[in-house]
Amino acid sequence: MTAAVLTRVRRLPRLRPGRLGASIAATVLAVAVLACLFAPVLWPLDQSAIDLSQTRLAPSAAHPAGTDDLGRDVLLRSIYGLRVSLLVGVVAALVAAVIGGAVGALAGTIGGWVDRVLMRLVDTIAAMPHLLLGIFIVAMLRPSLGAVVLSVGLTHWLSTARIVRSELLSLRNRPFIDAAVSGGAGRLRVLTRHLLPHVLPRLALATTLMIPHAVWHETALSFLGLGLPPHLASLGNMINDGRGSLLAGAWWASLTPGLLLIVVTLALAALTARWRDRLDPRVRAELQL
Amino acid sequence: MTAPTRARRRRRTGAGRVIRNRLLVAVPVLFATSAGMFALGAASPIDPAQQYAGAAAFTTSEENLAQIRANWGIDDPLPVQYLRWLGNLLRGDLGWSTSRHEPVVDVLAARAGWTLLLVGAALVVVLVASLLLGTLAAYRRGGWFDRALRTTAYAIQSVPSFWLGLAAIAVFALSLGWLPAGGLTDITATGTDPLDVAWHLILPVGVLALSQMPWFVLFIRDSVADSLRDDHVLAARARGLPGRTVLFGHALRTGLLPFLTLIGTHLPELVGGAVLVETVFSLPGLGAVTVQAALGSDFPLLAATTLATTVVVLAANLATDLAYAAADPRVRLE
Amino acid sequence: MTTTDPLLAVAGLTVRFQLPDGVVHAVTDLHLDIRPGELVAVVGESGCGKSVLAHALLGLLPGNATVTGSALLRTGDGVRRPSPLDLLACAPRQLARQVRGRVVGLVPQSPATSLNPVRTGRRLLMETLRAHGHARADAPAAADRLAVDVGLDPADLDRYPHELSGGMAQRLATALALAPDPPLLLADEPTTGLDRPLVDHTLDLLRRRCDAGAAVLLITHDLVAAQRVADTVAVMYASRIVEHAPTEALFEAPGHPYSAALLDALPQRAFRPVPGYPPMLTDLPGGCAFAARCDRATPACRVQPAFTGVRTGQVACHHPLEHAQVPAEVPA
Repeated sequence: MTAAVLTRVRRLPRLRPGRLGASIAATVLAVAVLACLFAPVLWPLDQSAIDLSQTRLAPSAAHPAGTDDLGRDVLLRSIYGLRVSLLVGVVAALVAAVIGGAVGALAGTIGGWVDRVLMRLVDTIAAMPHLLLGIFIVAMLRPSLGAVVLSVGLTHWLSTARIVRSELLSLRNRPFIDAAVSGGAGRLRVLTRHLLPHVLPRLALATTLMIPHAVWHETALSFLGLGLPPHLASLGNMINDGRGSLLAGAWWASLTPGLLLIVVTLALAALTARWRDRLDPRVRAELQL
Repeated sequence: MTAPTRARRRRRTGAGRVIRNRLLVAVPVLFATSAGMFALGAASPIDPAQQYAGAAAFTTSEENLAQIRANWGIDDPLPVQYLRWLGNLLRGDLGWSTSRHEPVVDVLAARAGWTLLLVGAALVVVLVASLLLGTLAAYRRGGWFDRALRTTAYAIQSVPSFWLGLAAIAVFALSLGWLPAGGLTDITATGTDPLDVAWHLILPVGVLALSQMPWFVLFIRDSVADSLRDDHVLAARARGLPGRTVLFGHALRTGLLPFLTLIGTHLPELVGGAVLVETVFSLPGLGAVTVQAALGSDFPLLAATTLATTVVVLAANLATDLAYAAADPRVRLE
Repeated sequence: MTTTDPLLAVAGLTVRFQLPDGVVHAVTDLHLDIRPGELVAVVGESGCGKSVLAHALLGLLPGNATVTGSALLRTGDGVRRPSPLDLLACAPRQLARQVRGRVVGLVPQSPATSLNPVRTGRRLLMETLRAHGHARADAPAAADRLAVDVGLDPADLDRYPHELSGGMAQRLATALALAPDPPLLLADEPTTGLDRPLVDHTLDLLRRRCDAGAAVLLITHDLVAAQRVADTVAVMYASRIVEHAPTEALFEAPGHPYSAALLDALPQRAFRPVPGYPPMLTDLPGGCAFAARCDRATPACRVQPAFTGVRTGQVACHHPLEHAQVPAEVPA
């Protein structure tokens, strides 16, 4: 008589990688970073060395990712390219964080019409396709390392500005701030001594999460020919250079640099997913870069 | 007139007020942004006169170059130049493209259509596919399809769209030979046959849609999954309403409301993606032209494209906000 | 089918929820019979699991719920619909098509959130009416009739839910449940947040349905409400029913110490709150769950007490309260 009806037991879906996933991601990232750091020591590369007898060779034991149309080993150049791209990405993300932090701090502490104007500015720039804006900036300043860094910085400061501003706005009315102000602390002092320590963790996470986007932006610019100069062969330059090979059937020259970037981005995303999950949903929404 | 009808009247006139307010705010900010861009252009080390002369600059005498500069008023103070540029803008004269040697307006008119076609088609594909996949995943929340879809979405998010395009060319065009590797029409074609164009657009539209899909699919999946557990959806089920009615009339109807406005905020990404896809597939759209303009430091064309796309995105945002207010009676327009 | 056959016979109903950090024992071994024309109230403090009961019977529990037991519904004529039908064992599609709304209606908790915010009351009512066979042409008039039945001004049907007051929303929700005219009505806390006149109005509405032949299961924490309209009252504590008796008998001579304590907590009586706190449903003790708060507890209470017939009702207690004997039948 008793009929047992078992509905499937389902846990809350969590798409954080499990222990195994996180370990793999961490290992991959560590290997990538180490390879980038020690590449000049372990595998010195002469960027100008070309070997026209070895052009467009398919992947083999000697060249795990084949050679490009100037006879150079693709895998080795890709590692060097990753070096450059990661470095530029990190620096650019820091620049964006500083700009955004400053704007957000201004808006959050001064408030009033300054806040409103700045936020309108943020909204308008958010409506501009940031790649187009980035292209504009690079075009005006002539493609170069500095231009690329500035391009990333000036297009990616929005999210950090929003985060810093909302943090400051919510902290502004806390009792400990009142205590500091009534104790005679000036505005700047309140900002640096008391408010910043609370804002830094979220700012740090946002900056880390921005790195893949900064690298993507630089890679896209370089791919379009508007990024780093050719002697600073970044992944984007390589992908673009390899297009000719690709159309002739030698896809490895163009796709391998991209693969490296994808793998590193995935690893970074997997690791920061845990970190990000611990923050509240409001910040997570802001971080949808 | 009953109270509900009066309230609805008030909301409809409110729409006009919102548009007016948005314009009042948007216009000054657009001015400020364009001024910023103008300043950046002026700070550029590029000499427009040399640009105009092109290769001939090396053989042109300095007096001629100075004459060109004077004609264009480049040596005038910056604010004067800006106002002149603005005045021209408002009269519909967008300037002269130094990289293409034709009026900017002509460039835009010739190219904008293809970009709109690409972006429009990709948007339709993304919306339809994301709705189907996201709703299916949300229905069996936590099931294998849900997990697979979310993993794939996160993975695709890490892939640059131009790499995806190149990979697609390598696989579908070169290896399998199913689709063309680029261009808008066959090399041998003389006109623009719609079928030919459509055939050539399959890969670009597919790549652009795929690169933008993760964000849409994940958002829809989350919204619908939450909505299916809403009290009012449970109540609708408890009333014995048919499954389809519950899904479309209640769960999706309320769950996808916020999605409407968020489409607008994601449009800039779509446009950026279009630039890259057009470059990879050699399509004659605005994106490709923008890249050439950038390589040639063509300020007028670049400024026009950037500002035009911004205006379009802002207008689309306004449209989606109004649509949202029309769809949700709880929203009072500010 | 005789008139004394229960419309709904629940036996051994147990509901568990699997959470990442534990198991919630929402309902344990619940037995309940409801007959046509009968109003049964299930009362208990918040967090005792009674709200889960309604959703369990309608198959509306989330995916992490495990349900065992049986809930036999006897309304079919045996020809078009199988009778009796086990609500807990039948396919979801059958539940959706044949049972929900049509045979078993639900007046949901918190009407404000249970109404679709982008539809007017009229559209919601007409949608439900048409889904259950009403002609399209007749629907607006039928909606007006329902509104009047529950005490709503028909003009208010054209408002959106956020434009309705709490009481109006409650009445709309009731109208929605009554629209298909179901023989069994589950009312989940229908009086929360309402003022006394509205509470009485809603309860009287439910009582009228009973008198017209329907069966009503009233889930509430409001004892006075139960006393007003219920035929029998089941007292729930920590996922189990601890006492089930006719209303008068329970209020005059409660058998379970918890029932007596609940009555003492009423403002009309001693106004003395029940000492202690109810246990977490994730952490239930092995024996009688009330033993920790009971002044009659002995080591015997470490064993789960079984139901025993006491006077006119049933009590699950090792040391039920003794009152002056009232000769009456013990229901089988």
